[in-house]
Amino acid sequence: MPYINYENKEISFKIVYYGPGMSGKTTNLVYIHKMLSDEIKGDLITLDTEEERTLFFDFFPLDLGNIAGYRVRFNMYTIPGQIYYEASRRLMLEGADGVVFVADSSPIRFDYNIMSYQMMEDNLRSYDLNPREFPSVLQYNKRDLSEAIELGSLESELGIGTDSTLGAVATQGEGVMETIRMMSKMVIEQFEL
Amino acid sequence: MEPTALEDMTMHQVLANLVEDSRAMMALLITKEGTVIEEAGDTSMLNTTAMAALIAGMFSATREVARMVGEKQFSILLQQGEQRHIHISLVTDSTMMVIVFEDYKIIGRVRLKARQYGEHLIAGLSRQQRNRSEKDEVPVSQFKEYALNLIDQIFTANEK
Repeated sequence: MPYINYENKEISFKIVYYGPGMSGKTTNLVYIHKMLSDEIKGDLITLDTEEERTLFFDFFPLDLGNIAGYRVRFNMYTIPGQIYYEASRRLMLEGADGVVFVADSSPIRFDYNIMSYQMMEDNLRSYDLNPREFPSVLQYNKRDLSEAIELGSLESELGIGTDSTLGAVATQGEGVMETIRMMSKMVIEQFEL
Repeated sequence: MEPTALEDMTMHQVLANLVEDSRAMMALLITKEGTVIEEAGDTSMLNTTAMAALIAGMFSATREVARMVGEKQFSILLQQGEQRHIHISLVTDSTMMVIVFEDYKIIGRVRLKARQYGEHLIAGLSRQQRNRSEKDEVPVSQFKEYALNLIDQIFTANEK
């Protein structure tokens, strides 16, 4: 449910990039930020550890403009992927309107993807959200790996549908804008008062 | 002209009065998801959008710490710097107030005013919900149509 400020006529949606450590969540966000024109985006805030992996979150606001009399904003977040940041990961999902799960296509990361996805579902349930009905996109990142896992293999293991799955090579920008477009549309389509 | 009574003020006016009365630099009212609801005072020196997102994250993290020690949450957070300090307090379960001030000697005054004006903000927030007229309602189907078009325009450009 987005935050609606009736006094100032603003609607804010929250989109969160979720996934295991090093799967490319920040790379997705950085690419989107780079591609958008200056007039509609705010500064990209990244809070990194010394190892340059996301400790807390990355964030930037995107101003969609004025729609039906309301100023509409998408606040884009990533969560920290590392196992030991479970607490902050759950917190970032609070108030989320949609989630992009960035999976790592490397075969040795298969288990991490499954574990992280199940954790995401648990996190959503902790906010009384049904993960199977919540707007979500599954992005298979790193499709340029020579032995990338098959598209659909994670969904089979997780027992979920494949309607909103995409392949990507975030370091080259492939599939990144397509993913955020699909996510944004799902969020808007689910919008109700 | 008669000065506006506190209960008739907009939330922006309440926040502006709080800044003046407490001698702070600026104040923000934000949601726990990190969205700015209102701001007042001199906010030119900082990025309030990013600040709201960071403070909301900080407050959430502190809430988890509170739970670890058997508290539901800590209702006040104070960040003391060398020249600037931040007082963060819960206004309702889903909103918080952030006050940035310079002279640490006024901390007592800031706390007092935060509490006093916080009550008016609570009243303002519930009034805002109550007084929502039909003209304020978002025309959902029209909204969706325009938004979907805009999304195509924004995210299709530069696609790889």
